[in-house]
Amino acid sequence: MMSMRVGIPRALLYYRYFPLWNTFFRELGAQVVVSRPSTRKVLEEGFKFADDDVCIPIKMIFGHVLNIEDKVDYLFIPRLLSDNKTGYCCPMMAGLPEMIKYSMPHLPPILDPFVDERYRGTRLSGALSKVGRKLKYNFLQTRRAYSKAREQFDQFQRRMRDGVSVLDLINAFETNGCFTDEPLTEKEEDGSMKIGVIGHPYNLYDTLFNFDLFKRLKEANASIYTPERIHGHTIDHHLRRLKKDIYWTLGREILGAAFHLLESRVVDGLIYVTCFSCGIDSMIEPLVGFRAKREASPYMALMIDEHTGIGGFVTRLEAFLDTARRRKFNSDDERRTS
Amino acid sequence: MKITVPHCGQMDIFINALCRKIGPDFVIPPKTSPRTLDLGIKYSPESTCLPFKFILGNFIEALEKGADTICMISDHGPCRVGMYDIVMQNILREMGYQFNWITMDDTRILRSYLLKFDRERRKRKVSLVEAIRALLFSWKKMNVCEEMERWTHKMRPYEVDRGETTRVSLECLRLIDGVTDLKELKIAREDALSRLANIEQDRTRQPLKMVITGEGYMVINPHANQDIERRLGEMGVEVTRTMWFTSQIAHAMRLDLLKKRSKSKAIRASKRYLPHNIGGECNASIGYAILYAREAYDGLIQLLPFGCMLESVAKNILRIVSKDYDMPILTFSLAENLSETTITTRLSAFVDLIQRKRKGREK
Repeated sequence: MMSMRVGIPRALLYYRYFPLWNTFFRELGAQVVVSRPSTRKVLEEGFKFADDDVCIPIKMIFGHVLNIEDKVDYLFIPRLLSDNKTGYCCPMMAGLPEMIKYSMPHLPPILDPFVDERYRGTRLSGALSKVGRKLKYNFLQTRRAYSKAREQFDQFQRRMRDGVSVLDLINAFETNGCFTDEPLTEKEEDGSMKIGVIGHPYNLYDTLFNFDLFKRLKEANASIYTPERIHGHTIDHHLRRLKKDIYWTLGREILGAAFHLLESRVVDGLIYVTCFSCGIDSMIEPLVGFRAKREASPYMALMIDEHTGIGGFVTRLEAFLDTARRRKFNSDDERRTS
Repeated sequence: MKITVPHCGQMDIFINALCRKIGPDFVIPPKTSPRTLDLGIKYSPESTCLPFKFILGNFIEALEKGADTICMISDHGPCRVGMYDIVMQNILREMGYQFNWITMDDTRILRSYLLKFDRERRKRKVSLVEAIRALLFSWKKMNVCEEMERWTHKMRPYEVDRGETTRVSLECLRLIDGVTDLKELKIAREDALSRLANIEQDRTRQPLKMVITGEGYMVINPHANQDIERRLGEMGVEVTRTMWFTSQIAHAMRLDLLKKRSKSKAIRASKRYLPHNIGGECNASIGYAILYAREAYDGLIQLLPFGCMLESVAKNILRIVSKDYDMPILTFSLAENLSETTITTRLSAFVDLIQRKRKGREK
């Protein structure tokens, strides 16, 4: 019997949960098909089906779904209302399976586990168990697959916190099928510039949206700090003074990370990659901007949309890096004289 | 303390009536005008939604007028309205204004509202009976205002002189705004109703029936939706809208369980298309479309501010609802640069389409 093929689009929460999903389905004996990395063409295919009101990462997932729809028996598009005890995901992700189902013809059946971590009956483990049962696996099999998946996911998160770049991790995971212990990043040089890069993971790590931002930063000899590197406690600590409950899980992570990076003077400059018409970014970005202004730290918000070209991007990045470098040079100078 | 709130439906009438009886001074922000929106756009982050810009404009104008305390609702939902308060505070402080800020939290609605209310009451040495009476009076007054508005929606397609209903209803609203106790309110209501009934009508017409749904702020506020109800009425359409200021509060306080077209019923009806309630008014919009399609309404108009996360999900699903129930649906995604001509052109095309559809059915 040919094993079942489950398709996972390389978009949105792929960049956060892929090790978990992949291990889960592989342990069950299914074959996981991931769509090809984003290109301009994938995005343009997405435009044809996506509504014009949604943000560009959602349009992107339409393209990715189109990329794999005829190669799989099932599409895996989880419905994440909340992936945290207190927080919400973006509401568009909660309605995503419907948006895709009703806009595109001839789709294979969609597996859409409903995840709402706030309530007992809808936790991730239970939701994935239901998926397993739908695919005719028994309780024990799904349970075992989930615990294996969780193991890999925990390791993924730990390595991210150690400062390994998410893209390297995911690439290594895709080729090996699991995480190995070999170190993936070079040791940071002491005198190098430190740049914080924040934003939603699906904007930061998508190859089309980030214009090789990480490679460019590395070429400029900068070490990179992303929200994944910052510990949950630190984020909580920095948001406590805000006296406001930031209820979006991702938004909370971004804001907390930004506050930590700015206030503790960890970085010499901060880049926020936002996307046009993102509701969460539109509220979080001003807060980060105000704080950066108060801390007098170099700060740049890069907004991506359908028309973003590489020219403008590179120019702005270079100017920003120059500012950050000059600032670092000056502050090092001050420290030396005092 | 000079308190202010943003314009939202008839809320200013409610707060005004309440404050006049027992509360602190109330500064009504100047009527929302193009200047309000310009101010809002100038100081808001670029990609926030339209309600943010209107409300920020209201606050700036109210602060200019001398308000020193701002009252703003909040939420813990997935919609970004819950973050308005903190972002707005930052913006206004950055602009150099000094003010106090009161956040009205939606989740613990009864407890926190009543506690705040009670504290204020005791500080002002108002007796409990008097306070409750004032609260009920303000609530009734707002209800009467909304009843007037409902009547105007019904009358407008029949009026012989275009624009007369609008003129009369403005007079009526002024009349009601002036009353100070229940007895006067009753008289004013009857007076207003008779004035509306005296408008010259042509009852031979058969107006189309349409329903307006979508994001709350856009549906409730004529200044945000470019007066879509009046425009439709004057094209000969009887308009119903799904959301009122009172109905929103009634839903939040679980008072609408027995109503025929309550929000909870709509949410239940939407389960076929969107099995989980994802928050905001997304499920309600879908549900209302189904409920009104079953009542043989001719069309539905969905209003959303551009980039609204929840309503754009609803927008996608409404396309299928429209097909399944054979009900035309027009979606307006409103941004600050939408011109009057765009609205009228699209509306009249939509009305034409439905009229032709009805004629085809009659044959």
